[in-house]
Amino acid sequence: MKPGGCWQPTTAHARALLGGVLLAVAAVLARRPDLLVLATPLVGAAVWAVRLRPLCLPHVTHSIGHGVVREGEATTWHIEVRDAEGRVDDVAAVLEATTWIDRQPVNGQVVVSLRDDGDQPLSMVIRPTRWGARRVGPALVVASSAWAGFRCAPTGETNAHTLLALPQSSRFDASAPPVRTPGLVGVNRSPRQGSGTEFASIRPFQPGDRLRRIHWAQSLRTGTLHVTSTWADHDRHVVLLIDALNDVGESGGIDGRASSLDVSLRAAGAIAEHYISTGDRVALAVIGSRGVQRLPPATGYRQLRRMLEVMASIEPPTDLADDGRMPRGLGQGALVVMLSPLVSPTALQRAVTIAEHGLTVLVIDCLPADITRSDPDDPYVEIAWRIRLLEREREIRRVGEAGIAVVPWRGPGSLDVVLRDLHRHAGVRMVRRR
Amino acid sequence: MNDALSPDSRWLSSRVRGIGLMLRVLILASTVLAVGCTWLAAGHTVPIVNVVIFSLALVCVALPDSHVGLLVVLVVGVEWLATVHDRATPWSVGAAVSLAVLHASTAAASVAPPAATWTRAMCRRWMRRSLAVMVASGGTWVVVAAIHGHHVASSAVLIAASLVTIAIAGLWARDGTLDAGPRT
Repeated sequence: MKPGGCWQPTTAHARALLGGVLLAVAAVLARRPDLLVLATPLVGAAVWAVRLRPLCLPHVTHSIGHGVVREGEATTWHIEVRDAEGRVDDVAAVLEATTWIDRQPVNGQVVVSLRDDGDQPLSMVIRPTRWGARRVGPALVVASSAWAGFRCAPTGETNAHTLLALPQSSRFDASAPPVRTPGLVGVNRSPRQGSGTEFASIRPFQPGDRLRRIHWAQSLRTGTLHVTSTWADHDRHVVLLIDALNDVGESGGIDGRASSLDVSLRAAGAIAEHYISTGDRVALAVIGSRGVQRLPPATGYRQLRRMLEVMASIEPPTDLADDGRMPRGLGQGALVVMLSPLVSPTALQRAVTIAEHGLTVLVIDCLPADITRSDPDDPYVEIAWRIRLLEREREIRRVGEAGIAVVPWRGPGSLDVVLRDLHRHAGVRMVRRR
Repeated sequence: MNDALSPDSRWLSSRVRGIGLMLRVLILASTVLAVGCTWLAAGHTVPIVNVVIFSLALVCVALPDSHVGLLVVLVVGVEWLATVHDRATPWSVGAAVSLAVLHASTAAASVAPPAATWTRAMCRRWMRRSLAVMVASGGTWVVVAAIHGHHVASSAVLIAASLVTIAIAGLWARDGTLDAGPRT
């Protein structure tokens, strides 16, 4: 408990004290006892407030239920007020929050009676409606004494918290076989034979075959040594390349319309979750964002969490130009899944550049479907978008002719057809190195 | 009034809900009731003063945490002093109850943010305490009515003693208000 220097008389106390005293003085000087009747409630309230004035500062602690949640999920902000003296009557709090944070109660305003409701904490439900790092707080806490005569706003360390809202992954599933990769460790069947677990065939012994692979029954039957061959196991190396150069469209959060970056991040989260759940290595690279721009490949749910955190920290800059360089960390044989609204020709050029380095590139078109929705304030916006989309179609067609698949994001199974095609044509270099 | 407060007060007033709204209605209703009691006790009224009182009450609704409430109380007191001549009129209890409600509702409105939801315990406590000071007003009126029939000669000593008593009480209240001193 700290010395009570913060308890200040309020305007309510001034009204009761001055109003009561002035009416009482007027009653005496004017010999009007009826004015004393009018003064009595004010004097009574003033005396009551003075008698029950708190002397010690209440101890306030703030806490947040979870520091990291998915967008659309809710957590709770707790404010605990301890008044050892027992003279604090009411405690009110207002929680400040930035955009994309819903508060319950509305406006983040709560009040409890510390005297009557006990030490129950003030709680406010906070719900981020869009991915990103959101500042929540500080919460202004004000304690009042009897008759609201004295008020105290305990000040302490800054109680603002940063709530990290991870992108809510879209639903995604892919049944297509993996694209061929050079790795020999993993859970997927390689198109090549080698040291694995899945049976391939029984063939004659060759120098270098392990003795434990000898198939004795076949060898006795034929008179020559035969061995059991297996398919090699390998894992996928998937690189998610997010184009954050533009955020096209209006975002309404998790409950409203989705901007291109919303679609990209939710799709990237879903794809990452799918491949990590199948034991593959997934890496992340972000173009056009400040801060962390790449995450090296790794497996496991910790990697998924790291990826979502990096995605949540993306800040699309408006003044950052694409340098056109090859993103770092794209390993040999990786499947590069690029998520982009494709409104800028540079994004498509970037995909071509990557494909020229011999990597398999799959571009997911994340432009919102309702982007051409007419703006009532500017009727030319719709026309401008239609013209731009025609140009964009032509650019996408050219990229497709160069061997890069471009598919729109449609959730579960949206990549199956193109992944099957890539698997079938694995190893065929579609874009020649210049 | 501080000009900088006006936009905030408008913003806050637009978000008043539930008990906060009821308290603001009570501020207006109690002011009208106080003016009505004064009118009934006096038999006549001064319309311009009533308009001023009601205007101040409207400001009080928008800015409950301001000194405008004190002005309302003082103007009502001055009007009572100027127009009412019956010193034992029972309407004084009505006026006192109105002032008690005005003070309590204005104070309560300044306790919580306008959109905050009050708990039942808070409502009960504020009503209990308001009722207590209203009963005290009734007791004061009973004493005033009891001594009203007796002729008391004008006494400078009695007046001085009363003023000294008020001064001592005021000093006690001032000390309790401003100089509580730190405690641990």
